[in-house]
This record gives sequence, structure tokens and C-alpha cells, in this order.
Amino acid sequence: MFASKRLGKELMKMQEHLPPGISIVKSENLEEWQMDIKVLDDNPLYQNEIYRLKFTFGSKYPIEPPEVQFIEIKPTSTEPPETKRPIPIHPHIYSNGIICLDLLSSAGWSPVQTVESICMSIQSMLTANTRDERPPGDSDFVSYNRRRPRDINFMYDDDNV
Amino acid sequence: MKLDQFLAMEVGSDQDDVLDLRGLEYSSSYDDHLMCPICHCPFIRPVRLGCDHVFCQMCLNTAIRSFAADRDDFTCPTCRAPTRDVYLNVPRILTNMCDEIPVRCPFTSEGCKEIVPRGHIQSHADKYCGYKPMDCPSPVCDKRTRKKDLCPENNCMHELHKCLRCEEEIMEQDYEEHLKELCPSLKTTCPDCQATVFRKALREHIDVCQEAIHPCTASKYGCPIKMKRAELGTHEQSCPLITIGPYFEAQNSRLNSMELTVRHLQQRNEIFEDGLSSIRSTLVESSRAFSAHHNNTNTDLPTSTSASSDIQRTSPNDHDTSATLSNATTYLLSLHESLREEVAQLSHGITDLDARASMAIMNECLRLKEDMAHTNAAVTSIRMQVQWLMNPRLHQGQRTTSGQNGNDSRTGTVAGPGSGAGPSSNTPGPVRVRRLSDTGREGTKL
Repeated sequence: MFASKRLGKELMKMQEHLPPGISIVKSENLEEWQMDIKVLDDNPLYQNEIYRLKFTFGSKYPIEPPEVQFIEIKPTSTEPPETKRPIPIHPHIYSNGIICLDLLSSAGWSPVQTVESICMSIQSMLTANTRDERPPGDSDFVSYNRRRPRDINFMYDDDNV
Repeated sequence: MKLDQFLAMEVGSDQDDVLDLRGLEYSSSYDDHLMCPICHCPFIRPVRLGCDHVFCQMCLNTAIRSFAADRDDFTCPTCRAPTRDVYLNVPRILTNMCDEIPVRCPFTSEGCKEIVPRGHIQSHADKYCGYKPMDCPSPVCDKRTRKKDLCPENNCMHELHKCLRCEEEIMEQDYEEHLKELCPSLKTTCPDCQATVFRKALREHIDVCQEAIHPCTASKYGCPIKMKRAELGTHEQSCPLITIGPYFEAQNSRLNSMELTVRHLQQRNEIFEDGLSSIRSTLVESSRAFSAHHNNTNTDLPTSTSASSDIQRTSPNDHDTSATLSNATTYLLSLHESLREEVAQLSHGITDLDARASMAIMNECLRLKEDMAHTNAAVTSIRMQVQWLMNPRLHQGQRTTSGQNGNDSRTGTVAGPGSGAGPSSNTPGPVRVRRLSDTGREGTKL
């Protein structure tokens, strides 16, 4: 009840106004939303690409953080290439879309964060990145991980990106 | 207040008769600053942290409980400043502004349309709202009834009555309304034919009522006739406007398409006119610029002279033959471009020359200044020398006069040798003179 009320208010506000480069794709139910984000500056790693974020809200949102990850949409032959959504390359984003960001962990989360502020944080995380690489151990993690993002104990050691 | 004390405080939202302000529907948008950053509602019983960030009491309570297992770790959700104390005193203006935000009555679904400031919603719901569901006064009935429907005798309003007309079972509380408004068996009279019909069938009846007065179908083409539907049929058979109707339709569609084409053509025409005027203006400009250019530089520039004659030659032409117009204009435009380039080159050269000239002038000035300084120095040295040379003379003159004066005072007879001793250098006089001149030289040095 608390979560849906708050999400309803956020949605109403976002439908009025959204920051540049962020758009709502799916927000019909109050459990899973999808957002599209674009990197606005001319960072060559992310130019001309749109990325899709999936938000999964628990009943305790905003006291507990939502689960946020990138999802990939592969281009198909029947659909135009504009519909494709890759996973952005970043030293803190695994190739299955899981993001290592302390803001999204229960330790770094604060209930004043909103869907909009998370999108903007991820946007700026991409903007600031110059390294064309995946996190160390990406392939192992991707093939063996069966846990949900919120259950993974990330180490937040890199303050640079 | 310490966090533990704060957590021990009663939150007070669990009581049954107190409205949950968070669940209210806000009828208008409110300022973001009045919004608790956690629940995004206008502050409900706001409390303040040491860093001056304000939250609802309940939101902060939940946040502390879920984030800080030991109370020392708690940080402000907004700014992450370490926080040990909570202050209950927030500015009165904040609570006032939050209480003033209009909300809808929580019993909207029951039919209450009331919108009141949030500060008054509790008393509205408690005392004034007639739509608040109340327990039925009858001890055997477990239904609820709206406050306004409660009858003063405290009877149960949920007994079912059978409507005498439509045989439907209606609760007592709704019976009156049913009888007056809703019962489908209610009858009414048609305003046109005076026939009595069921209320629910009235609309259908009006559509077919033979007595209702309708305009002729050709009224849009100007037929003024309005008559009863029964007679309208005979009229429509003879109405000339109906026979001509299809023709009107065709004409109308043709007119519409014509208008469309005309608009299209107008647009194109405007575009062409714009182009023409721009060409004209460039022509005028180029000829003007050229003539100015020609007057300024009398040096012979073969391209420009030929261009001027070309302009003169082509300008009558474009009045005569429109076919050569486009050719001539492109030629002129290219000419104009080349002229512009030349002018730009010239102005460039002029600025270059200007710069060079000013540089030369400056160099010359510097040299002259230096020379002046030299001459000045020479002049001063000469002046000094002259002064030096003049000094002994002056002094001698002084000395002779003073000597004459002294001699005069003593004896008048030695006046002759006294004046003759002046020029001779063997007398002690010149020694004093030299000393004096020395001091004079020091003066000039200073």
C-alpha cells in the first residue's frame, strides 16, 4: 500500500516531466517498471545507443531498494534495428545486466531515492566511464550466478567511476 | 530527543478512528518542498533532524528501524549526515502549509464530493460527513449504512421492501430514491404527442414519435420547413431542395478540392516570390556595392569594369526575356561573388597596409624620441658647461664690486690697484672663487 502509493506519485510526476535522455517504457503495474536511458554527452562508448533498465519493486519500497538491472533486447529480423537494447560496457556492469552500484545495495540505499534519481545516477555512471571493459571475472560470474542481484555481496571498492 | 526515545514514541496511525492522511487523495498538486522525501506525501506530523532535513514521523521511524541496527549508525536519508537526535519542533509555518493542502473526503466512493483542507479532514469525517458508513443500529443487522441515511428512530434501514410497481426488492434506505427516480415502471408523457410512455423508453419513443417536430432533411441547403414527422414524408417528396441535394453535395466536394489546390498553389507562389525577391535584393546589393567599389578604387580592374557593363547590359534584358533571366542571374550571382571576394581581398590588403603603416610610424616615433633624448642630454651638458664657465666670471664681478665697496670704506686711494687685481690669478681671490664654483657644481649634480 505504502509502496504503490509512493510509486503512483512518482509516476504522476514523471509523466509530467522527465530529465533529458530518460523515458518510461513500461509502468502498468507497480511491481516492475522498464525505463530507457541514453547517455547524452559524446562519450564514444555509448554514443547512439539506448539502454533498457528493469526495476523490480518490493512491497517495502522505498524503505528497501528496488532491484535494478539492464536487460538486453536483441535485434530481430522482423523488427527495425531501433528496437535493440544492448547491455552497456562498463567496469561495473556485468554482461548479464547486473549492476554493481552501492546506491542499489541495502547499505548504500536511502529512501529518498526515486526511480528518476536512480536513472540519473546510472546515466552519470556511464557518462563518467572511459574504460571499455567488463568487470574482472565477468564470464565466470555470468555463467555461475543464479542469485538475485540483491543477494549478491558486492564489494564497493572503486570510487573513480 | 535521542533516537531510542523517538522510536518509543507512539506513531498513532494504527488507531481505527484516526484517518490515514497518507491514503487521502490530494485534489490539487502541492509544492515539492512540502513533500516528505520518503513517502512523497505532504508532511504528516513532521520531525526534524540535526541537519535540518524534515521527514514524517512515521517515515523516519521506519527508516531508522530498517537501516540502523544499532542506533549510532543512522545517517540522514537525504544528506547522510550522522544523526543521533531528532527534534520534534518544526517551524509552525510548515505544518500550517501542509494542513492547508486541499484533499478529497475519504468517503468519495460513498458519494461525498467534499474537498476540505487537510487540517480539517479529520473533523469533517468525524462530525460533518453524511456519507460516513456507520454500523446499523439494529443489533441483528451487520450491514453498514451512511450516516445521513440513519433514521432518527434507530431502525434498521436494511429491511427489504418490494417495490409495488416493478416488483424489485429494495432496501429501505434506498426506497425513496427508487420510487422517485430509478423505478423502471415510472411513466412519463411525451412532450410532443402526449402519449404516456415508460420513463426508460422515453428516449426511444422520441426518436420515432410521429408528432415530434423535425426540420426537413434539406435544411442544411436552406429549406426552412419544420413539421411533424408524419407530414414530413409528403413534404420531402416534393421538396425541390432535396432533389437538388446530391448536386449540391458534388459541388461542395469539388469546391473543397479546388480550395485545397488553390491553397497549395498559393504556398508555391509564395515560395517563388520569396526566391525572386531575394534574387532582386542580391542584384541591387551587388550593383550598389560594385559602384561604391568602382568609385573608391580608380585603379583599373578589368573584371570589375566588365562586370559593371554586364550589369547594365543584363538589367534591361531581364525585363525583356524571362528565358534568359535565370542564366543572367546565375552569371550575375557568380560575378557578385567574385566581386565580393575581391572586395574582401582589398579590405584585407587595406588593413594589412594600415597595420604596416602604423608600425612604421611607431618605429619612427621611437627613433625620434631617442634622438630627442640625446639632444636633451647634450643641451643639459652644454648648459652645465656654460654655467661652469660663467660662474668664475660672475664671481669675479661680485668680488670686484665687494672689493671696491671694502676699499671705498677703508681708503679711496687704492681703488686703482684694487680693480686691477680682479683679473690677475695670483691673488687669493680666485681660490675662494674656485671653492664657490665647486659648491655650484655640486648643486647642478644634485
